[in-house]
Amino acid sequence: MLRLRPLTLHRPTSLAEAIALKSEYGTDATYFAGGTDLLPNLKLLQVDAQVLIALADVAELRGIEAVDDDGGSTLHLGAATRLSTLAADPVVRSLVPSLADAAGRVASPQVRNMATLGGNLCLDTRCRYINQSQLFRDALGGCLKSHGKECHVVPGGQGCVAALSTDTAPLLIALGAELDLLGPDGPRSVPLGRFYSTDGLAHTDLRPGEIVVRVRVPVPAASTHVRNRKWAVRKSIDFPLVAVAVRLDLDPAAPVLTGGRIVVGVLGPRPRQLPLDRFAGASIDEALALQLGDLAFDRSRPLPNVPYDADYRRERLRVEVRRAVRDIAASLEG
Amino acid sequence: MPDNDPNVLRHRLGAAAGQQARSEARDVRVVAFTLNGESVQVAAPAHWTLLEALRYRLGLIGTKQGCDKGDCGACTVRVDGEAVLSCLTLAVMAAGRRVETVEGLGVGRPHPLQRAFDDCGAAQCGFCTPGMLMSAAAMLDQARAAGRTLSRMEIAAGLGGNLCRCTGYVRILDAVEQAQRELGGGGER
Amino acid sequence: MSEFRVLGRHHRKIDAMDRMTGVERYTDDLTLPRMLHCKILRAPIAHGRILGIDTSAALAIPGVEAVITGADLPTPYGIIPWTPDEHALCFDKVRYVGDAVAAVAAVDEETANAAVAAIEVRYEKLPVLDDPHAALADHATLIHERRKPDGSLVTNNISKRVELSFGDLDAAFADAELVVEADYRFHGTTHTPIEPHCALAHADARGILTIWSATQVPHYLHRELAKVLGLPRNRIRVIQPALGGAFGGKSEPFDLEFCAALLSLRTGRPVKCLYTREEVFLAHRGRHPFDMHYRTAFDRDGTIRGVDARTVLDGGAYSSFGLVTTYYSGQLLCSPYRFGAYRFDSRRAYTNKPACGPKRGHGSVQPRFAIEVQLDKAAVALGIDPIELRRRNALTVGERTINEFAIGSYGFLDCLAEVERASGWTERRGKLPRGRGLGVAGSTYISGTNYCIYPTDLPQSGVQICLDRSGRVRVFSGTSDIGQGSSTMLAAVAAEELGVALEDVRVLAADTDLTPVDLGAYSSRITLMAGHACQRAAKDLAFKVRSAVATAWDCDRSDVVLAEGQAMRLSAPETAMPIAEAFVLAEVEFGTLGATGSYQTPREGVHGDYRGATIGASPAYSFTAHVAEVEVDEETGEVQVLQIWAAHDCGRALSPTLVKAQIEGSVYMGAAEAVMEHHHTMPSGLRADGKRRDPGPGVAGLLANSSLLDYRIPTALDTPDITAIIVEHPDPNGPYGAKEAGEGPLHPAIPAIANAIFDAVGVRIDALPITPEKVLAALRARTEAR
Repeated sequence: MLRLRPLTLHRPTSLAEAIALKSEYGTDATYFAGGTDLLPNLKLLQVDAQVLIALADVAELRGIEAVDDDGGSTLHLGAATRLSTLAADPVVRSLVPSLADAAGRVASPQVRNMATLGGNLCLDTRCRYINQSQLFRDALGGCLKSHGKECHVVPGGQGCVAALSTDTAPLLIALGAELDLLGPDGPRSVPLGRFYSTDGLAHTDLRPGEIVVRVRVPVPAASTHVRNRKWAVRKSIDFPLVAVAVRLDLDPAAPVLTGGRIVVGVLGPRPRQLPLDRFAGASIDEALALQLGDLAFDRSRPLPNVPYDADYRRERLRVEVRRAVRDIAASLEG
Repeated sequence: MPDNDPNVLRHRLGAAAGQQARSEARDVRVVAFTLNGESVQVAAPAHWTLLEALRYRLGLIGTKQGCDKGDCGACTVRVDGEAVLSCLTLAVMAAGRRVETVEGLGVGRPHPLQRAFDDCGAAQCGFCTPGMLMSAAAMLDQARAAGRTLSRMEIAAGLGGNLCRCTGYVRILDAVEQAQRELGGGGER
Repeated sequence: MSEFRVLGRHHRKIDAMDRMTGVERYTDDLTLPRMLHCKILRAPIAHGRILGIDTSAALAIPGVEAVITGADLPTPYGIIPWTPDEHALCFDKVRYVGDAVAAVAAVDEETANAAVAAIEVRYEKLPVLDDPHAALADHATLIHERRKPDGSLVTNNISKRVELSFGDLDAAFADAELVVEADYRFHGTTHTPIEPHCALAHADARGILTIWSATQVPHYLHRELAKVLGLPRNRIRVIQPALGGAFGGKSEPFDLEFCAALLSLRTGRPVKCLYTREEVFLAHRGRHPFDMHYRTAFDRDGTIRGVDARTVLDGGAYSSFGLVTTYYSGQLLCSPYRFGAYRFDSRRAYTNKPACGPKRGHGSVQPRFAIEVQLDKAAVALGIDPIELRRRNALTVGERTINEFAIGSYGFLDCLAEVERASGWTERRGKLPRGRGLGVAGSTYISGTNYCIYPTDLPQSGVQICLDRSGRVRVFSGTSDIGQGSSTMLAAVAAEELGVALEDVRVLAADTDLTPVDLGAYSSRITLMAGHACQRAAKDLAFKVRSAVATAWDCDRSDVVLAEGQAMRLSAPETAMPIAEAFVLAEVEFGTLGATGSYQTPREGVHGDYRGATIGASPAYSFTAHVAEVEVDEETGEVQVLQIWAAHDCGRALSPTLVKAQIEGSVYMGAAEAVMEHHHTMPSGLRADGKRRDPGPGVAGLLANSSLLDYRIPTALDTPDITAIIVEHPDPNGPYGAKEAGEGPLHPAIPAIANAIFDAVGVRIDALPITPEKVLAALRARTEAR
């Protein structure tokens, strides 16, 4: 069986303690929450960590709370909230059902019982050339994300284009979520929409030692309609091969579009955001479904990074966007 | 052939990636937790998974290993009542928790799930079965607590993280439905 | 089934509860004192010559007890005695990424991993052949350097070629009403048992080498271990512990068994080797990719006039069972339909990829896909209902197929009728909502092979039974229960004959020291062969028990029956005694009670006498028909297999629950191969448009999906509803008429699904797997063509 290599584990009970440990050990150390992404990567020797800093005992990372603020309410989700909790939580289900739905589609029941929301947002990027055994990567001669000098996805490419394969990030970006971070230099907040970069080797805005503490999700207004769509070959276990969130903001007085956005995941390291301002005034109908599907198709170019045909993923993205719009249209009629 | 011949490859596994082999475990802890209702202590290196500790330290070989890394569900155990993957759980993280394995499923006599699996012929090679049983037990307990009776589709979804290669799942779903009837579910479907 | 009291009824598997309570020990559950752990170093290039191996750094690591390389195990082996082209550890060349080069034994897995990573190997890279057609081209680099009997070099990469012709094919095609001609591709899939391969070896102080292995062929493993290790067979003991699935993937010796054995001999300590999941995928021996060109000639009424098949098999790096696969690719096609004439030409190519071998339905799943789609195309072209067209080509009992296999029973027509009825074929077909369709397919399979894979006149299966004065029955058998329930089948046969409850039969199986030889769990042979052997031994003992009881009751032996835990007098049913008392009477009269039974296949009148006529010949053939219902999403191209009705003629269902379970598992596996699974290497897997990426050095032949995340097998949510229907046409060669049930029911799933897709949306996908992108492209091409 694949074994982990020997390592040292710390179990801090506060964020301050965790951050101090990380500062002490530097790049030898890695934060460790649910472990469902990190441990396979460690076992496959894709990443190395001599020191794990477990976040399981840090109470500050827990909790689900709806906070009323100016003009609406916001869900405050502790980063260590497990995905199964998120999927089942009555507050989440009533205020942001699309988030409960997205969390409930991640991987498998067991993984959802272990994995955390923060971990899902900080998932390492994935690629058919890196999420492999050591023997495979040796045989390949490595790639930009391992020990090689060549990108096998984009021949001649200079930057790593491994894909962010999270199920929740596109939706949370569409919802306008913000992250509260804490690091050695103190706290800061960053909109999730600006959290990711295009560098598959360092695809988040996290600075050394920083931890995602909380995810703040504005509860959408009644006139805002959000749908999350996932496509994978299997109905369980799989990472998404297409992940897209569609947010339509409607005029509260009439079912016409005032704005919104489509957020497409599993392209490269950063989800793509497609604002819908230019469709303002459109009715929510089949014509819009087709138009928005085409928009997503035209503006997204899935790569042969994750293990499925890229051209089909692009076709499929178009259909998933259409279906999200149709679903919203149907809900308006109902 | 000389080493500088382009057709010659000198290979040492992982060397190109600059990996240094590490084999010595220095961080060994004594982990105390509740295992199938009894207090246990086990000395485990920090890099050992709960699966390894159960199988190779505690002798509870009922929990199986199939895929190395969380893809198959054969290693499913319950921690504080919930189904988790013991191959992706560090043994030291089980400290203070309540761990249940297939060995603890029936107390004195087979659990209704085990009887139903036996009646229905739901186990062929039986290798996925302990994990399947633990997922099913967690699911049925949860449904019962919520006063719900699970549909066949919901049962299939609840077992979505447990791969079986023998049965085509037909008899597994039959068995979980049978056990649910026996255990008495909640009200509405 | 009223003539039986145990057989034909619902049985719980005799070993299931132990497996479900965590008591039963599979190979990796065994631990011995001072046990070492073995890890195997594997080649990172698909084709190359080993120039040198430096193990010194590995040996210097504390806790490393031994390191071995190819020079330590120089004797070649192979499951087929005519093609021994494998070495436990390569010593001259490596032939695929993952070929074994060295092995270490260390105090724990971590240390063994570190040791493997300390071994340095120098390779000379050779051109990589990852495509069978390129491998078969003139002047291709030779993957194996083979010598002919005259000593000259074999100058091609043909692992095996079989050309056979029956009847006048040219005449069949000359005046045919319809000729259907098409190319089909089977893509390659693998077994994926949930239990990884594992072996534990212990060379003990007595000089006995014991191997516990997750194998489905202990007997063949026993022979090959003796050959490669140079030890007499009587110093080697092979035990197959409980097995966590196999499906053909554990039906030959693998590197880990030889390595663990030699390392144990070297160190004097027990050595365990457990594959990683990646190693399971690399060991492979899965279903061969086939490129098939089929021409089929029909009369106006749908009669099959002739079949002309040309096939290239992508064999991977080694022969495995490839000689047999190549025969099966043609030989197993001649039933359940009558062919007017038939010719096939099959060539198996060596390529630099993991070796292919036997997977459930060995060799005949791929051609079955081709022929059943050919029949469907003919039905459409001729305007005949596809089930009716199949009926019109039925064989009859007592008939010989065109390749001269004797058909002793034939339930195929009932299978067709059952799935026609169960699926509502007549009422529903053609009236389903848009995007939904029904498809049918049939098949046949062998119940064991008529001949052992090595030449011998010895029995294929032996069973020994002992009766205990406590009323228990002990059955000793070399058979491998791989989850299919063969031990339960043996217990049921013994219980039937000896009148005891199933729970009172103990089966000890698959231990070469303690059990009579059985050839193993392959080619669906156990029920027929071991079933016979068990029945014979049990009848022998029943005779003695009944005789002793008859003496006690002073009646005729024929008046005594053993049933339901008692000996009873037929003519006076109130006269009865507990079975244990009957056993005691018999033991008093005859001494300790034991008997053996053995089975050898019929040798006369079961096959022709042309070269190759014996390969594919079986004592009895099973038959299956499926109807599949699919829903095709025309916007995404995604195919949902909604339900499969599968009717299977198993001759006689000795244990109907187990038979249905085999049908269900087979259907599931076939459906998954149709729409989901694909064991593939990097270049061919890179682009769906079929364009090959120019492979960089070392990349060609690199297995793309060696995990259970990337090699996607269906979850409970991805599996269709399955309705298993048992059809019983007892075969005179089967015990109680029984035939196989474990492999045949897989075959029709794939073509039935393909045919249902055509029924649903009018497109044909002749290259498997049937993926959404292919369906979508076909739908678009059809739209554009209009």
